[in-house]
This record gives sequence, structure tokens and C-alpha cells, in this order.
Amino acid sequence: MKKSLSLLGAAAVVVAMSGTEVVAQQTLAQVKQRGALNCQVGLPTPGFYALSADGKWSGLDVDMCRAVAAAIFNDPDKVRYQSVTSAVRFTSLANGESDMLSRTTTWTAVRDTQLGLEFAGVNFYDGQGFLVPRASGITSARQLDGATVCVLTGTTTELNLADYFRANNMRLQSVTNENVNVLVETYLGGGCDAYTNDKSGLAARRSAFPNPNDHVILPETISKEPLGPVVRHGDQNWGDIVRWVLYGMIEAEELGVTSKNVDEMLKSDNPNIKRLLGVEGNIGQGMGLTNDFMVRVIKHIGNYGEAYERHVGANTPVGIPRDESLNALWTKGGLMYAMPFR
Amino acid sequence: MPDEARLAAADQPLVFRPKPERPPPTSSIGVLGWMRANLFSSVSNALLTLLGAYIAIVFFTAIINWALVDAVWEASNRRECLDRVGRAGACWPGVIAWIPNLLYGLYPKDQVWRINIAFLILVAWALPLWLPRVRSKVGIGLSAVLLYPFLASYFFHGGAKDLLWTALIALGMAAFAWVWLTTLSERTTGLPFGAVVARLTGAPEDDEAATRTRARIAYAVLYLVAVGVTTQWSLSEVSTRYWGGLFLTLVISGFGITFSLPAGVMLALGRRSQMPFISLCSTAFIELFRSVPLITILFMFNTMLPLFLPVGVEVNRLVRAIVAVCLFAAAYMAEIVRGGLQAIPRGQYEAASAVGLGFWQSTALVIMPQALRIMIPTIVGNFIGLFKDTTLVSIIGLFDLLSMARAVGEDTTWLGLFLEPFFFITMIYFVFCFLMSQYSLNLERKLGAGQRR
Repeated sequence: MKKSLSLLGAAAVVVAMSGTEVVAQQTLAQVKQRGALNCQVGLPTPGFYALSADGKWSGLDVDMCRAVAAAIFNDPDKVRYQSVTSAVRFTSLANGESDMLSRTTTWTAVRDTQLGLEFAGVNFYDGQGFLVPRASGITSARQLDGATVCVLTGTTTELNLADYFRANNMRLQSVTNENVNVLVETYLGGGCDAYTNDKSGLAARRSAFPNPNDHVILPETISKEPLGPVVRHGDQNWGDIVRWVLYGMIEAEELGVTSKNVDEMLKSDNPNIKRLLGVEGNIGQGMGLTNDFMVRVIKHIGNYGEAYERHVGANTPVGIPRDESLNALWTKGGLMYAMPFR
Repeated sequence: MPDEARLAAADQPLVFRPKPERPPPTSSIGVLGWMRANLFSSVSNALLTLLGAYIAIVFFTAIINWALVDAVWEASNRRECLDRVGRAGACWPGVIAWIPNLLYGLYPKDQVWRINIAFLILVAWALPLWLPRVRSKVGIGLSAVLLYPFLASYFFHGGAKDLLWTALIALGMAAFAWVWLTTLSERTTGLPFGAVVARLTGAPEDDEAATRTRARIAYAVLYLVAVGVTTQWSLSEVSTRYWGGLFLTLVISGFGITFSLPAGVMLALGRRSQMPFISLCSTAFIELFRSVPLITILFMFNTMLPLFLPVGVEVNRLVRAIVAVCLFAAAYMAEIVRGGLQAIPRGQYEAASAVGLGFWQSTALVIMPQALRIMIPTIVGNFIGLFKDTTLVSIIGLFDLLSMARAVGEDTTWLGLFLEPFFFITMIYFVFCFLMSQYSLNLERKLGAGQRR
């Protein structure tokens, strides 16, 4: 069913693309007129778009929505969250229901070139990994020949798994389900030898095991999953706004501008900081915002590092250490690199 | 036989005197007898019984142990539960913390009373239908179906009211007041509310025209008071984006159920109609919606429809889902009703024509009452199916009961908790579906009482 839905979704996207050029040019005007940003997230997922018992959305990807809303309205709460299944995510963007989507979506060539989407950057570098019981003695993914692996169906995860096993000449038996919790339960019950998913999720899932230390995440990363916000094709200006809000947050971290010191930083002599905060130049106005849009983003959300540590950092339940990972700043050996603000 | 004996017998009339009844053998009465007859009537039956009992005991003890005996009732996160009982016992605090969301979705918690009040109003509205000595039951039932939605919509959604909306809400309020005024007056005096008012204001008992005029004035006053109250009363707006949980499930299935029956009747009549255009349209509609899965219809309405609308026009996501569910349910209902209509013998139609009833009269007074009674089990079966089918709206991003239950296990505090919420909503679904099915059985008994052959 999932597959047929995806097909239907793809068909809908193709139909949509022929009709939405009209919608495209005016996203910012529409958002301003509506008074809220329609931001699409996925079904609740810890760390990225989590829904808590008191009904609030939070997470790294949710902060991306909030940052764009802060840039436009100076109010990060002016967001209408749309939480839909991955099968219909691109269609909901294409038909104009969502202004942007920010939901751990992998930037791939097919999506970028054939679905009428525009990726606005990368806010998290992920990759697929394996979780195995410590007692199994397995220390490398290469030892998984003939293993039964639990894998989420209907995502690229399943494809990556098959690719990896084929490339390494290993035999694979997979147990699939569309619900992560069912897979985890199967894995814990001994129904499969390993559980595979994006590494960002593995640590969090393990933390909810009865004995987390009985399970290890294997060192191999078998796929590249650059995740980031996505907008519709055809409205370049809107894409620019989302892109430069993201870059602005990374640049702010690089320059040491945080939500706490942003007011003092306004008086800084550093020309890079001056341009980032709109004291000099008119980058914001060029996009239809005000020049100090990044001041608002940083005040309400903080820089990229603050958002990261708040939602997925080592001190959160999700617990993904940032140091020396791909998500560290480029100055610290990672891949987070903002194009210069000038 | 000797002759004397026969002669002696002829003197007295022969009377059959049965021997006194002997009690049934002890092995066939009481609990033991029942068990012997039903559970252990043969060796193979006895073995099957033992096997079944063994499975039931193992199964239910496991469930009870998990859900009650070993369960944790107080904890602040799942880690605490796991540290105490591992996965052997249920971790209910997570479900308890999520109960507001499971029931009302993301509806603002300080506004939840509005849903409760609207639900109580519905109960109060329908209550007179079960009270004895209430005569205007048709009016009460119709007003509940037609006018309650206006009042409920305002309670649920709130926000600014324009002129038309004010008028409709007032109509709902007036209707609710009328329902209870009529119920009370009919139970005390046996007369409808209008007639009672007429009496009280001094209309003579035999003057029908005066009674009717005064009743109308009374209704008009009632309506004006309702309008006055409506203009003075306002609730803050709660966008449908925040609706969810059991509440949303009930809203969608409620609309689907109330819409599908009348629409299904009309479609079924349309399909059987002699008029080619109407028959063609009805058949096309029914076949189109019946041959496409509900999930596809939902998908079409949700993602394709916005493509054909002009820029800037946004049709509410929930409205789209409700319309899709209603149309789908109507198509199915139409075929059920058509089946019921086919069971009515031709003679009934002819007899109705013979006494001079037109099409609508014969349909409403002769055919439908019989057909609907036959169809009760199928109709209610369809309603139950519809109630459960509404879980499909989760695919288009509405947080119904099922999606909310899934969200519990993704909450960082209760990560991985998914059996417990599913267990909980299973109970909810069971209660609702079981009540519906019991009500239908009850209705069948009541309506079929005089028809048993």
C-alpha cells in the first residue's frame, strides 16, 4: 500500500508541477498575508520534530520553521505545523498547502531534479548505521553476512541496506515494518539480529531500551543522508529566504553570536558581524525582509549550535555528540559551512 | 379381554392419567448438565474444551499480569518504568500523561470544556427520544440531526460570527430549548409546547387557528431570545488544525454517519428511478466512489483538490476529509438501501398506489419503514466499519485517535511506549463499536417485535 501511495504521490507531484508555477512567485506575500508560516514536519520524531504531551512541537527541524517565522514576523510562534506521512510530503508542498518542509528529508539528485523541489541547504548530516546486541560479539557491519535485519519500509533506508549487502557480497534477510516502535520491539524480542536506521535515531532508540548498554552502534555508516529544509521550485526568492536563514544561523555560530550576546554584538566592529546583523549592507531588504532579520532569528532561536545542543546534542535524550562529527563547524573538522554574508 | 371387565370399564368414562413427571437425570441439569451437554459431549469435544480453556487461561493471565499486576502506575518517564519492571509490565503513566491529547488532540487545554459541553448537549438533546410520553420524537430526532451540528460547530470552532452564522447558531440554540420545553410540557400535560403556551395565554381549547398563531408567536419569541443570546456570547477561535484524538474521530465519523444515511437513501431511490438522467447520475456516482478505495479518495481530496483551486483559496483540511468520507459512505449506504428496497415485495408498491399514495408518500410511509427495518444490521455494520475507517485520515496529516496513540511512543519522555497506548485505544474502539452493535440489536428487537413469524 505504501508503495502504491508513493506512486500516487509521485503522479500527483508531476501533475502539480505543471500547475503551480502561478503559486510559486508569491510565497512570501502569501505568508505575510496569512500571518503565519505553513511549515510541514513529519510524524512525531524525537529531536527533530517532537510532539510533547502538552501538545507543543519542538526539535531541530521545528526550529528551522520557527527561525523563518521569526525572520518574517519577529514571532517564532507564527507557524502552523502540518504533520503528514512521508508518502504525501512532496505533494503537500507542491500543491501549495505547505510553504516549506523541514522534516529530515534527504537531499538526493532525483528529488532535486525531478520532483520540482529546491533544497535550501543542509541542517543535519546523517547516515545509516546498525544497532546490534553487545552479546552477539559483532563489531563491524561486515560481520553481518546472513543476518536478519529489521528495517523501516517505504524509505531510502531499505534501499541503502540492500545496496550495502549486495556491494559487499553478503546475504541479507530483512524484517520490515512501517512503524519504528514495532521494529524495535521485534529487535528486542530477538526477532532480528540487527536494527538499522539513520544514526541520528539509533542513539535515541537505544536510550529507551531496558538495558541500553547491552547494545552497540556499529562504527560503519553505510549511506550519506544530508537532511535539510525544502521549498517548491519556481519561487527563488522564497528559497533564498529559507537558505539564508539557515546559513545565517551557522554563520552566527562561527562568529560567536548567540541569543544571549546578540544585543552587544550589534555594536561589534567586526564587518562580518555587522553585515550578518544588518548593521551594514541590505541583504535582508533584497529578499523582501528587513535588514535585521538575523537579529530576530538569533534572539528567538539562537545560532545553529544552540539549536543543535537544545534538541539533539549530547545532553539531550537523543544524545548525538557533535564534536568531530559531520555536523561540527568546518573550523572544527565538520561540514557545517555557511556561504559568506556579503 | 374378558367381557365383564369391558362392561365395567364402559361404566366409567376413560380418562388419561399421566404418571407424575420424573425429575430429569441429575447429569443433564444444572451447571454440570450444561457442561456435559455443551462442553464434554464427546471425547474430541472434551479435548477441544480443555485446549481452549488452557489457551484462554494462559492468554488472559498474561494480559492481566502485563496490564495490571506487573504494571507501573506512577513514573515520570519511561526510563523509570523500565528500571522497575523492564518490559514485563505495562507503563501506564505515559498513557495517562497523554490522555488529554488522545481524547482532544492538540485542542487548547483551557478550552476543552467546550467539547465536553457540546457533547453533553448532544446527550441531553437525544435523551427525550428514550423518554416515555414524549410525542414529538420525530421532530426531536430531526432537529438533533439537522440543527445540532450548527450549535456544535460553534462550540468546537468558535471565532467571529457573521449574520448567517449567528442566525444558524441561534436556530440550534432555539431548537435545543424547544426540545426540552416540548419534552417537559408533553410529559406533564400531554400537549406540545406551542399548545401549552397558547392555553396559558388564554386561547380557547377548540380554536385551532388561534392556538397555531400563538404557538408560532411563542416560537418566534424563543428564536429572537436565542438570537439575542448568540450576539452577546462569543468563544475564542480554535482552528481545526488543533482538533484531534477521539474528538476528531467522532466528528468525522459523526458527520459520515449522519450524512450517509439520507444521502444513501436518495441515491438508492435515484438508481431505481425510471428517470434516465437521475438514474444514470446516481449509478455513476455510486459506482465511481465504490470502486475506489477510501484511502485514494482521501488522498485525492486532500492533495489533488488544492491544485484545481485558485491561488489563495484554501479549503480546510478537515472539511476536505469529512466531505471525502461522507461521499464514500453515501455510495456504500446507497447499495445497502437498494438491497433493502429489493426485499420489499412488488405488492407493497401496488397496494400503496391502490390506496392513492404518490411516489414520495408510498416511499416514506410504506416502503422505507419496512426496508429500513430489514437493513438495520447491515446499516449498523456499515457505521461500525466507517467509524474504524476514519483511522485512514492519519495518512493526510489529521491527528485522529490512532495517530495520537502512535505519537505517544515518539515523545522523548515516553520513547518506545507503543503497546500501552494501542491497548488503551483498542478499549476505546471496542466500547464504541460494541455500544453501536448492541444498540442495533436492541432496535431490531423493538422494531421487529410485531413482525416475527
